[in-house]
Amino acid sequence: MKIWTSEHVFDHPWETVTTAAMQKYANPMKPSVVGVDVLHRPVDPSGKLHSHRLLSTEWGLPSIAKSLIGAERTKTYAQEHSVVDPVRKAMELRSTNISFTYMVSVDERLTYKPHPQDPEKTVLTQEAVITVKGVNLRSSLEGLMASTVSSKARKGREAVEWGIRKLSAEVEALAASARGSIRAPVAAE
Amino acid sequence: MNSIGEACTDMKREYNRCFNHWFAEKFLKGDGSGDPCTDLFKRYQQCVQKAIKEKEIPIEGLEFRGHGKDKPENSS
Repeated sequence: MKIWTSEHVFDHPWETVTTAAMQKYANPMKPSVVGVDVLHRPVDPSGKLHSHRLLSTEWGLPSIAKSLIGAERTKTYAQEHSVVDPVRKAMELRSTNISFTYMVSVDERLTYKPHPQDPEKTVLTQEAVITVKGVNLRSSLEGLMASTVSSKARKGREAVEWGIRKLSAEVEALAASARGSIRAPVAAE
Repeated sequence: MNSIGEACTDMKREYNRCFNHWFAEKFLKGDGSGDPCTDLFKRYQQCVQKAIKEKEIPIEGLEFRGHGKDKPENSS
């Protein structure tokens, strides 16, 4: 069993980071995630939004390997459950693999909360527990996986930053277009 | 980002547009009632559930249930 943890501060308020994180998988930093679907998305009686998502990841094998193994079997699946509390301003996310559970279990937890000292910033806390089952090389495999998780986590954070920039650009474009349409009638006079 | 079911991607994008707007403009601002995306979600879900069965994705026994069963009575 290997535990990896990390903390990161985004220089943006919690609402911005959470909105970007909800859209996270449409981003260029994680090309191996090839499919994401929401399977269940209730608002619970206390007003928190739950999202249950299914993620499919492509191994990135060369096409000859895929044609030998079969295209569907080169995909691995993970499930993700997130909870957003708009009153307490907390987003918690937990994802676990569904494929290969007989070999390995990867359990990742993420929490996004406003920075306790600066409401214009957001703190992301990440934790991953990795367990490789029944293998003698257990601790070195788990170590290898932990460094992969760490690198993916960094890319995940970059993905959220990318999402924030994309959202800002869209907002700016809308604002510029609104300014343009307000000015036009004045110019016509 | 595509759906896991290739035929579902357009439905998913339509639902996502609706959801992302509701999430940022309503839910995060304290107005979580009246989700306007229920019909789009139902349509998208029917497609996805079919794809999951066809691809034999092993989600049995996981906590996914139906869609929207826990929603408060007054949501649209």
